[in-house]
Amino acid sequence: MMYFFDGTVNGFLTAFVQAFLDTNALLSSRVSQLPLGQEPITVTTDEKLAARAEQRLCAFDRNAKKDLSALLRSGEEDAEQAAFAYFKLLATKKRPVSRMFSEEAVFRATEILKRIGLEIHRFHGFIRFTECASGALYAPFSPDNDICDLLLPHFKARFPNYPFVLHDVKRKKAAVYDGQNVFVAPLDKADILLSADEENWQTLWKQYYTSVNIPSRERLKQMRGYMPARYWQFMPEKN
Amino acid sequence: MFDFSFLRVYNGTTMISQEKLRILTESAKYDVSCSSSGSERKNKAGLGNGYVAGCCHSFTPDGRCISLLKILLSNDCIYDCRYCPNRASTDVERATATPDEICELTIDFYKRNYIEGLFLSSAVTKNPDYTMEQLLLTVKKLRTEYNFHGYIHLKGIPKADEALNKEAALYADRMSYNVEFPSEKSLKLLAPQKNKQSLLLPMKTLTAERAQFREEKKKGFIKGHFLPAGQTTQMIIGASPEPDGQVLKLSQALYRKMDLKRVYYSSYVPVVQDSLLPQKEVGQLREHRLYQADWLLRFYGFSVDEIVEENENLSLEFDPKCAWALRNMHLFPVEINRAPLEMLLRVPGIGGKNAHKILEARRYTTLTFEDLIKMKIALKRAKHFITCNGKYAGAKNEFAVRGLLAAAEQSDSAEQLSLFPAFFGDTFPPVSERFLLRSSKANALTALTGQF
Repeated sequence: MMYFFDGTVNGFLTAFVQAFLDTNALLSSRVSQLPLGQEPITVTTDEKLAARAEQRLCAFDRNAKKDLSALLRSGEEDAEQAAFAYFKLLATKKRPVSRMFSEEAVFRATEILKRIGLEIHRFHGFIRFTECASGALYAPFSPDNDICDLLLPHFKARFPNYPFVLHDVKRKKAAVYDGQNVFVAPLDKADILLSADEENWQTLWKQYYTSVNIPSRERLKQMRGYMPARYWQFMPEKN
Repeated sequence: MFDFSFLRVYNGTTMISQEKLRILTESAKYDVSCSSSGSERKNKAGLGNGYVAGCCHSFTPDGRCISLLKILLSNDCIYDCRYCPNRASTDVERATATPDEICELTIDFYKRNYIEGLFLSSAVTKNPDYTMEQLLLTVKKLRTEYNFHGYIHLKGIPKADEALNKEAALYADRMSYNVEFPSEKSLKLLAPQKNKQSLLLPMKTLTAERAQFREEKKKGFIKGHFLPAGQTTQMIIGASPEPDGQVLKLSQALYRKMDLKRVYYSSYVPVVQDSLLPQKEVGQLREHRLYQADWLLRFYGFSVDEIVEENENLSLEFDPKCAWALRNMHLFPVEINRAPLEMLLRVPGIGGKNAHKILEARRYTTLTFEDLIKMKIALKRAKHFITCNGKYAGAKNEFAVRGLLAAAEQSDSAEQLSLFPAFFGDTFPPVSERFLLRSSKANALTALTGQF
């Protein structure tokens, strides 16, 4: 049976409870082609049921809440299904399973979590701010996973004096630090007035990028491995 | 309202020229180290902080990462080290930046998230003391006037006044003096103005000072920082005749006695024509083997004596761990479900992360080969050295093991070099240094991994 939920944590938990005894359950929040012979069930989020399920899962493993919220941020096709398999195992074993690496479900969930962690780490480095005339910093980017708010603590600690906007252009939302508070807001398109020196600094950065390279040791595959081309779009040195 | 007054201090007033940036970067780019790990420096109402794991901000087409803004304050050198492209007697473009130019460049690159910090070095201009003063002035300005708390790696100038070094250590996260050559004799021959004492003494002093500082800080007597990310050094491999055994012996001593965080190895490329220097370049494979051995020393509990004899080179055919295992076949195979961590770490093909994964997983179940495959543990090498629940899946005899391992090594020699996990912080050697260098005429002047 196919269970459609709204993509939220509570939606997932409701679907989780409903699908728990269904051995062929498929969980998804994305509309996709149904496998042959499958009947879709649209799950209506039940906050109370979800809260109870969460409490139970957290009693087995106190990281459950954190892991679930992270898994649902993944851009991987099978992330929701993997989360279902993982938490089903947790609920069956009734004790932490996160280290049982020889279990398929654990391995897959761990892998997805690792990917999200990796992307967060990558964007700590690959985010590129442009300076606006107001002094605020603006960074458009397009991550695979829904992580823009997870980048906030890092940049807030680093640039406490600069208001900044991390704009996820794919999901049309932005994580914002206004100089005091952080929050997430929907943002389709941003109008930017660049500071006077912005272009000059970008030119210097491109110069630096060219100069620090050692042309005789070209290893493009290596570069792409570490810095996949899909991230280049918003990096001045690659444009 | 936010107070942006400090923006006015440096916004656009002394922007470094593109030309100068080019010269000073090109002179610095062969420096091997680019790591930004090890500092937990907090932001104190200014700009930036440390990132313990280190962070790469970009990657250049040569496959190396850009973590720090790697630049010289000046490339106008009075020394005439034979191997160095910036030596006094060559005719290269010279440039000198002002401390403010460097500070501004750092700040503006940093706040756009281009870099993780500054790696500042300099040719010896006028005299060592003057050069060190300029470097100190720059980092001090950056920390105090520009209120910068990001990462700073500062190159120490040999023979500079001790007090200057100590003061610099209060502002930098990491300092490094480059040993350059594994023996005094080679140093004398190729870098006549430097000597072993002038390199090791400041290192030693800083190590002692750092230990004392940490002790007192722990007790709460003092605040602040003193080289939170420690010291590193670099050796040029193959410009002088010392074998790997001697190189590693020195590394081990530096790790144990000087408490160094890293020793970098850079294989020599003959770009400077000199009768005292070999005309043949050193294969990157030798350098790669040295790094593998270095890892064994630091993370796998090996000592040099186990890896290589002092007067020998590392085997190019097998990686050092494989070579060790083949010499100690009587210790294998080990049972994956019972072997202690120290022994798991010594199995060829099982690294630190996988060893820990095995420890965790075997608490819940008896592991079989299928389990290991599911856990994505590479068995190509390991299968010859382990049993899973009593079963052995490797080759029948030692001779066959040897052959299969050699074949494995060959089949992925190219691929294997690129298998370093990309985001192991940046504690991994910069990528470029693991590969064959090809010297071209265009690059002949600067293509040298030596130190300035």
